[in-house]
Amino acid sequence: MPAPEIVLQQAFNGLMLGVMYALIAVGFTLFFGVLDVIHFSHGDIFMLGAFAGLALLGLWGAAGLAAAPVVLPLTFAGAMLVTGLVGVAAERACVKPLARSAPLMTLLATLSLGLVIREAILIFYPRGADPKPFPALLPAGGFDVAGVFVRYENLAILGIGFGAMIAVDLVINRTRLGAAIRAVAQDPDAAQMMGVNLDRTVDWTFFIGSALAAIAGILNGLYYSEIHFIMGIMGGVIGFSAAAIGGLGNVYGAILGGLLFGVLQTMAAAFIPRGSEFRDVVAFAVVMLFLIFRPTGILGEKSVERV
Amino acid sequence: MLTVWAAEAGLFVLVVAALLAERPLALTATVAAVAAALALLRLHPGLRRTLSAAFAAHPRAAWFGGAVLALLLPVALRHSPYWTFVATMALLYVTIGQGLNFQIGSAGVINLAGAAFAGLGGYTVGLLTVTAGVPPALALLAGPVVAAAVGALLFVPILKTRGHYLALVTIAFVFIFNILVNNLEFTGGPQGIKNIPTLRLGGHAFTTPLSVLGLTLPYHANFYYAALAMAAVATLAVWRLHNSWLGLALNTLRDDEIAARCSGVPVARQKLIAFTVGNVVIGLGGAFYAVMVGFVSPPDFDFGYSLAMLSVIILGGVDSIGGIVLGACLLIPLPERFRFLHEYRLLLYGIVIVLMLLFRPGGLWPASVRRYGAGGAVSPR
Repeated sequence: MPAPEIVLQQAFNGLMLGVMYALIAVGFTLFFGVLDVIHFSHGDIFMLGAFAGLALLGLWGAAGLAAAPVVLPLTFAGAMLVTGLVGVAAERACVKPLARSAPLMTLLATLSLGLVIREAILIFYPRGADPKPFPALLPAGGFDVAGVFVRYENLAILGIGFGAMIAVDLVINRTRLGAAIRAVAQDPDAAQMMGVNLDRTVDWTFFIGSALAAIAGILNGLYYSEIHFIMGIMGGVIGFSAAAIGGLGNVYGAILGGLLFGVLQTMAAAFIPRGSEFRDVVAFAVVMLFLIFRPTGILGEKSVERV
Repeated sequence: MLTVWAAEAGLFVLVVAALLAERPLALTATVAAVAAALALLRLHPGLRRTLSAAFAAHPRAAWFGGAVLALLLPVALRHSPYWTFVATMALLYVTIGQGLNFQIGSAGVINLAGAAFAGLGGYTVGLLTVTAGVPPALALLAGPVVAAAVGALLFVPILKTRGHYLALVTIAFVFIFNILVNNLEFTGGPQGIKNIPTLRLGGHAFTTPLSVLGLTLPYHANFYYAALAMAAVATLAVWRLHNSWLGLALNTLRDDEIAARCSGVPVARQKLIAFTVGNVVIGLGGAFYAVMVGFVSPPDFDFGYSLAMLSVIILGGVDSIGGIVLGACLLIPLPERFRFLHEYRLLLYGIVIVLMLLFRPGGLWPASVRRYGAGGAVSPR
């Protein structure tokens, strides 16, 4: 049995991954809430967010801006705007038109759209096939708490991630837009009869969800200091898994699922022989078991089946 | 009858020309001819009616003509081993597509792990022949069995989950399969399994050129004929199943599971039968692939190939047996033909699928409605 500090350290490291997964998963779950679809290109929008962030950082550099406190917020805001708009475009072009057909159709359409985004980055981003180094903008160094080494960088990632989640929670629970989103998730027809503009609500939901993916993408770049155009596949599959373990349509479930997935991955990597190779096997096996024994996730799916 | 054969021969000439045209002039002429043929069919309803009436009146002649031309294709392509190979790959995808379509199209059991089941077939052949020294022909038959047996691992999730959740379970399955074969020692890791011995039929090794009627065909033609037989058997089997009571029950439970249950369809059993039958066919395709190319490695069976298999179904037509054949015969050769667009290939591929789903969700050859009773084309057996 490994020492408790090591377990704690691994759990803390897993939290870093978990925050990113949770941010992606919240997008999946929000989209499922309003349209009952899985927007599978979301993983590639997460990747797009990281590349948009990198491109913007280059732009600021060329403009002579260098101080991290100025550059970081600008980068986040710019990348969120880019992915938000791409997300809305994706929804208008190929999610909403198919929302009423079989689940397979939307799944396949968005998978293909993800392929298009991925290939577009590969072809049109300069030297898109290579992994790109991502500049380190977060403060270095750290301190020790009860045998766990905490980096300032990690604290910043956690702070930004949880800050974004709290902001989304506030939007959903405290604003008119949030009320509209919740109403549409419950019953689109009734919501429309009560004067909710369905199309605008769906657009905003996709904007918010996709913007969160940009945050996850940039955090991913800052954490691994490298981004690659294929990271969207795994990001999408993990985000979807996290949303599903939490219960599709449930925002808190998605956050919980994301954190759980991250911790599970790092634990498996640390404590299973040759774990770094098999960590995803363990994580996906747990996802499968979850879906078998709790087919609607930890916190339950939002709707019941109508006959 | 002559109309049918003339139409089939015309199609054959166009296909061969489209595959073999290399010089700009020949290529332009072929593209123009294909476009003209399509435009004529599109704009001339009388011609369309004549053709469909002729095909309906002489089904046997149509099948016979089609079979003869399919047998003649390697002869027409004899100077191009490459295109013979591509044609064989298309037939392989016909087989795999039929298996996957039986699961997804007929029974509504979403399976995004097609690549994993093909991989199970392929790796079984690799392990049995290279490690255990089993003859390839025997290993080829063991592949589908293993694919179906491992598929039993997913029985519980298939019965307990549906729709998006089932999609996720199968995605997780294909990822697990890929990570495992990539990292386990006995599957050869990232290098996979090399030097899989080739098939032999009565002393004739499949890697030696084939001589028929005084003509020497490249050795790829051996595999073409084997794949043709395999695709024909798979298509025929699935077609019979589709027209049976089982096929009808599967369509019912796909369209409304609760209504099917109320009408006495044993939903759980039928779903598992459909899933297993599909895996047998997909595993056979994967096993054949291993024997044909002589090696298997993890990237041959990753998630992307699951999507390629699925695209065959979407392009051709969900639950449409003929559509699967058409879809595979278009989707596999076309990207090879347009190699000058190589860089943009996957990009265009994605765009085409999205456009298909948006504007032609039934596929190029939509499934026809079942008609029973007097004058009906099919009756359940």
